[in-house]
Amino acid sequence: MDAGKEIVRFEKAGLAYEDAPETLSNVSMALREGEFRFLTGPSGAGKTSLLKMIYLAHKPTRGRFFLFGEDAMDAPREALPALRRRIGVVFQEFRLLDHLTAYENVALPMKVAGVNQNQYREDVSELLNWVGLGDRMDAKPPTLSGGEKQRVALARALVSKPDLILADEPTGNVDPAMGERIMKLFVELNKLGAAVIVATHDLHLVQSIGKPVLRIANGKVTRSAGAGGAG
Amino acid sequence: MMTQADETQEHEESAAEKPARRSLFRRGTAPLLPEAGAAGAPLTAVIAVMSFLAVLAMASLLIVNHAASEWTSALRSEITVQVKGASPEEISEGLDAALRVLNETEGVLEATAQSQKDAAALLEPWLGEGNAEAFLTIPAIIEVKASPALRDNLDLLRNRLAAAAPGATLDDHARWHDRLASAARSGQALAFGVFLLVMGAACAISIFAARAGLAANHEIVSVLHLVGATDAFIAAEVQRRFFILGLRGALIGLFVALAALLLAGLAVRAGGGADNFLPDLRLGGWMMLWLATAPIATCLVTALTARLTVLNTLSKQY
Ligand SMILES: Nc1ncnc2c1ncn2[C@@H]1O[C@H](COP(=O)(O)OP(=O)(O)OP(=O)(O)O)[C@@H](O)[C@H]1O
Ligand SMILES: [Mg+2]
Repeated sequence: MDAGKEIVRFEKAGLAYEDAPETLSNVSMALREGEFRFLTGPSGAGKTSLLKMIYLAHKPTRGRFFLFGEDAMDAPREALPALRRRIGVVFQEFRLLDHLTAYENVALPMKVAGVNQNQYREDVSELLNWVGLGDRMDAKPPTLSGGEKQRVALARALVSKPDLILADEPTGNVDPAMGERIMKLFVELNKLGAAVIVATHDLHLVQSIGKPVLRIANGKVTRSAGAGGAG
Repeated sequence: MMTQADETQEHEESAAEKPARRSLFRRGTAPLLPEAGAAGAPLTAVIAVMSFLAVLAMASLLIVNHAASEWTSALRSEITVQVKGASPEEISEGLDAALRVLNETEGVLEATAQSQKDAAALLEPWLGEGNAEAFLTIPAIIEVKASPALRDNLDLLRNRLAAAAPGATLDDHARWHDRLASAARSGQALAFGVFLLVMGAACAISIFAARAGLAANHEIVSVLHLVGATDAFIAAEVQRRFFILGLRGALIGLFVALAALLLAGLAVRAGGGADNFLPDLRLGGWMMLWLATAPIATCLVTALTARLTVLNTLSKQY
């Protein structure tokens, strides 16, 4: 595959929470259109922190960071929503809104983007059916199991057909069969053009998919040997 | 987005799914920020009180306005001629002369001499019955209803009266008029000041409540941002909620205030004091319209303040 446009680029970026020492330091990496990366590393290494910088929840405290070719460090606040709308995130803690139904949670990115409901109603139902929750559309998150919540979160991340998919432990709470199905979906979406980063501890799954792996340890991101291909 | 196998599965399900789909039409109306069950009631109550006070302040403004214009217009159309004299004969002569002058003056609509007996009757309680001597030399009073044209130019009449009856003086109540007008202005300023204070308090409460609401809904706001919501979108959501709360509170305040005004009006009328002194408290159409501006202002101030507070707070985040 040709080298596509750069979607994410970090140059010597660092992230420190408050006054703590840097959680991530000297992160230099790039993700191009159509690429797929796994992100691994021990617990507390900073996988979620790296994703947070990418989905614009935390600004890197130093270095440079480009998103979809734009300088995300210098972007005015008004420019951020448009960038965020191009990213679909499956959060590690799901972050569903408890007072909304599963359907409303999945529809949220479309609603905040001001899209008419007629244009996404079918997509939302289709996605919820696909993750096996077609009969739980009106259920609120507190009444769902962990795995069900995870699947609602997945559907919400995908509903806007994002250019970049970030999944933080997306298979941590589902059974192996569903986990494999979700991974296959990511691969399919990647083939359709979306860039994908999946943070996971599940090395088994990583091996079975066979995509390049980024490893975080000691605050550094390294490209681990092994799986080849540009994704 | 679907794999082939899943698509067939989806088709099989679609028939059974029809009723569920229909119900989807109602979806999308749920507020993105949870309806403030706990915070909503106290806020509504406070806004109701603010609205109540704003309506009362507005009502006082209207009443003072009304009273001032009634009193001053009554004063403006009336002038008084007083005829003094050393003896009853002198007074009586002066009175006749003054009446003649008045009746010949253009613009005098009515000139009524208050008889000495009336004056005596008025003073009797103080002087004691039968003290006729004392009554005989009290000044005679002529009440004159003057046309506005004459009222504006009294000097000629004043001179002619002085020429015809040396003991006659003309009082146009200017001093009273000025005093009443300035009292009315103070009353209006006070009522308006109270109105502004109430609006300021509504503003402060709204800032406080909007900040507290943002803090309490921090996670929701953060998720909304992360899925691509703009500050304006979130501010509009908050504004809508505050508008609904504000409207509810404002209407409650309005109705309670109207009831209070109505009762006060009835009480005044039952006491018999309303006719001349207090202005009519009946709620005419215009009065209602003016009073309605108070709850509307309360509601708008609440909603707009909430919006600005949210925009301001969010602009400090990443
Ligand atoms: N909001 C925060 N404030 C302060 N420190 C934080 C915050 N979030 C994360 N950290 C710290 O940053 C480090 C990296 O956390 P992070 O969540 O990125 O790890 P992770 O690799 O995702 O771990 P896991 O595999 O357990 O999810 C941890 O030491 C954590 O304590
Ligand atoms: Mg994590």
